[in-house]
Parts: sequence; C-alpha cells; structure tokens
Amino acid sequence: MGIPRGTSIVGLGMTELGKVYGRSPRRLAADAVRLAARDAGLALGDLDGLLVSHGMGGSPGIELAGTLGLRDLRLLSQVNAFGATAGAMVSYAAAAVLSGTATAVACVFADAPLKPKQSAGSAYNRSAREWYGFGGMTAALGLRSVNSFYALAAQRHMARYGTTSEQLGAIAVSTRAWASRNPLAQMRDPITLEDHQNSRWVSEPLHLLDCCLVSNGAIAVIVTGDDRARDLARPPVHLWGWGQGHPGHRKERGSDFGLTTGAVSSGATAMKMAGITPADVDVCELYDCYTYTVLVSLEDYGFCAKGEGGAFAASGALGPGGSLPTNTGGGQLSAYYMWGMTPLSEAVIQARGDGGERQAPSNDVILVSGNGGILDHHSTLIVSPHRKGA
Amino acid sequence: MDIGVLRRDGRTDPFFDGTASDRLVIKRCEACGLWFAPDASGCPECGEEDLGWAEASGAATLVTWTVLPKDPPAFLALVELAEGPWLHARLDGVARGDLREGLPLRVTFEHPAEGESYILFRP
Repeated sequence: MGIPRGTSIVGLGMTELGKVYGRSPRRLAADAVRLAARDAGLALGDLDGLLVSHGMGGSPGIELAGTLGLRDLRLLSQVNAFGATAGAMVSYAAAAVLSGTATAVACVFADAPLKPKQSAGSAYNRSAREWYGFGGMTAALGLRSVNSFYALAAQRHMARYGTTSEQLGAIAVSTRAWASRNPLAQMRDPITLEDHQNSRWVSEPLHLLDCCLVSNGAIAVIVTGDDRARDLARPPVHLWGWGQGHPGHRKERGSDFGLTTGAVSSGATAMKMAGITPADVDVCELYDCYTYTVLVSLEDYGFCAKGEGGAFAASGALGPGGSLPTNTGGGQLSAYYMWGMTPLSEAVIQARGDGGERQAPSNDVILVSGNGGILDHHSTLIVSPHRKGA
Repeated sequence: MDIGVLRRDGRTDPFFDGTASDRLVIKRCEACGLWFAPDASGCPECGEEDLGWAEASGAATLVTWTVLPKDPPAFLALVELAEGPWLHARLDGVARGDLREGLPLRVTFEHPAEGESYILFRP
C-alpha cells in the first residue's frame, strides 16, 4: 500500500459523559479508544499510532498504550496545547499518515475532575490561607479563577465594541436549543434570554449561563488514510485542512488581549489548506468554554466583521434554522465539556449525518475550533463528508 | 479586606521590599529599557535573561475589569502602568459606574498586621 494523499476520521468513541464516577481517566481513555476502534470496524491491533491528552488531572499519559495492550506502535506521544489539543492531535495524526509514519492513529482525551458530592464550580477552584510571591498576591486579591480571566477578556470586547450581555446570552440560548435536540447533552431544558440574564453572576460580565459545564469522560477518534478509510465500517469524515494560532499577546501597552485571538491565523491556515473561504462553511463547531469565546472566534474566522460578533449572534444565525448552525450538539455550554473533543465529536456526528433531530440541513463543510489558555492557543480543523476537491 | 496571609517566594522579593516602604518596584530590562511585571522572567524583546528592578511611578490606567459577586463586590482588573506593562490588580474606591477603558489610576499600599504589604489601585 502506498502513502495516501488524503486522510479521514474513521472512528469515534465516546464514553458516558458528565457525572460519571468510578472510572479513572486512564480507564475512561482506554474505553473511548476501544469504542472508536469498534466504531471504525478496526481491531485494536490495527492501530499503529496513539496520541494521548489529558485535562487538569495530569493523566492519562503514554502508559495508556500498555493499558490497551497495544504493541509495535510506530507513533506514540502525549500532546498538550490546552484546549487546542484535539485539533492539534488530529493534525499530527494526519501528518503522520501522510508521511507514512503510521497508518491508523487513535487520538484520545480523558478527564475526571468531578467528584461525587462536589459542585462543578469547585472542581477547578483554588483557595488558601497563605499565598506566595507576586502571583500569590493577585490570587489572594481575588483573581484566581479562569472565569475571571475570561471575564476580563469579554469585558474588554464589550467596552471596545459595545458587545452586550444580551448578545452573549443569545449564544447561550441558541446553544441550549441545539442541546435540547441532543440525547447526549447534559443540559436539555430550553432556556430564554431572561433565564440567562437572571442567572447568577460568576464574574461580571459573565453570568452562570455564559460558562461551560464540567464533565467526566473520554472521547477518541481514529485517523487513517483515505485509501483505507473507504473499506471501513463508517463513512469517512475527510480532513480538508488544519491550522494553529498562538498569538503570544504580551501583557503590555498595545496588546490585543480580549479583542482578537489565534483564530485569525489558525483559521486562515486551515481554510487555505482546505481551499475554502468562510462563505463555504455550512456548520461551525466552536470551542465554547464561554459564550464570549464563540463570539470572538466567529469574528476572527471572518464570519462577521470585527466588533460585530454580538449583533451576528443576536440575529439568530447560530441556532436551529439559522444561516450558520453553530455548536449543533449543545457544545461545552450545554452538552458536555471534553475540551476540544466536544466540538470535534459533534463535527464527526454532523459530517456522518448522524445528528438526528439536530442534523444541520447542509453539512458539506464543517469548521471545528479549539481554544486554550486565556485565548492564548487556537486550533482549527476543516472536515467534510466528501473527499477534498471531489 | 481579608486576603489571607501573603508571604515572599524568593523570586519577587524586591517587589515586597518596595511595598513595605510605599514604593512600586517592578522589573526592567537594563539592556533595552522595557518594563515588566514583577514575575516576568526575561526580556522577550531583546533576549536579556536577567531583568533588573526599578521603581515605577505608580500611575496607571484601566484596561479591563471584572466584578466578583461578593459583599462588598470585588473589583478586579488589568491595569496598564505608565511605563507600559500590564498588571493583574484589585481596584479600591470604585463603583461600577466609574469603570471605563483608560480610567486614570494610582497605586496605593496596604500594610496588613500579618504578612507582606500589597498593592491596590484607586482612581
């Protein structure tokens, strides 16, 4: 078999997601890889590559290969670009397949931050009686939650462009409308803009309903060459393009922190590779750790002008029946929080036409984003049910 | 305000020597003159690995802010020092209606009974 010219996602494995207790992240990851292989119609022994990523808990790592009993792997690494990791893993897997390094690569993410009888909010919280050094001082003074750092970013966008809390709320509402059609979603009761406005402040200007869920679980995908993908169990989801963007905004005069993100360069790179423009995109699956992340990503990808993301979201474009179906599974805000695997898994489902009640009317070109740090890291994938250029 | 007890970490001690005597001491690159936050570890502009310490004016402007729902509310911010670097900071003596991009601020120093002195910013 020669080296393939194109690559596809051929398997998707998702464990139970949400308040899933009793399994370690490593066990969850192993389960997801097994499910993905079964979905693809591959045996575990057919895998010759494994890329592993984890959440804040630090596990699993590459020992997962041993847990799964994988032998003679030709590619094995842990990958970490925070929330941009899923897209990065898939692009590295595709590059490995295209170079002949490996032929079938599983990419997996697992995390289990939730403990029984613990609130979701406290899963990532820090508090202490004693604090150390300058960084400790800012934490002691109250700046110690990721929510607050994203609130600083969102507030800057609001002050600069007139973005409103109601416009952020439109994203919460449209995302929940999609979630209500997704049996996999943790939060399925529809919400109104009033519900959003009445939800408690987490860190102004972010309400509770601007913030993502916290979930336990694992998701895996398998990447192979197009030559092999044809003969497998499920229709291939072709990888048309990928990119990353790490803007390196310094905290100093002139910084664009909160105003633009790595989606600018990541999107341009991925769309150039795919041979498309934003006008060609049928569906967006965007990393939505916060409603604001969706809004700024839409601007930076060029779906609307800079500063007009709020009006675009409020127009109804993103929800069911809108012109740009976005986060059709309910995203991290309403479905499940598996970092970059949340948008990627829904993209695979949509590309296969498996969305059921939530299937987007057109799925020819799907854009998937990942976002990590405080808008520091970004990844993009362009996927399609069709072979590129066909 | 009760913030717990603040201790030195051995890497930002000149900052706390400064706060103890009401001076804002931050990092500066002696090679190229750029100023940085007290926890900066090198100059990304010129590559100088060892930054010096120097006294900043204490003048700043408001970049962006967030309010934590506490009683009383906690006003947290990114502020831009007159010398250029941004600091994560807590504001004092402000109300929501005061907050805008570019609001002029000045550093103030707090000396708790226990632990290191720390800074706040006021209009």
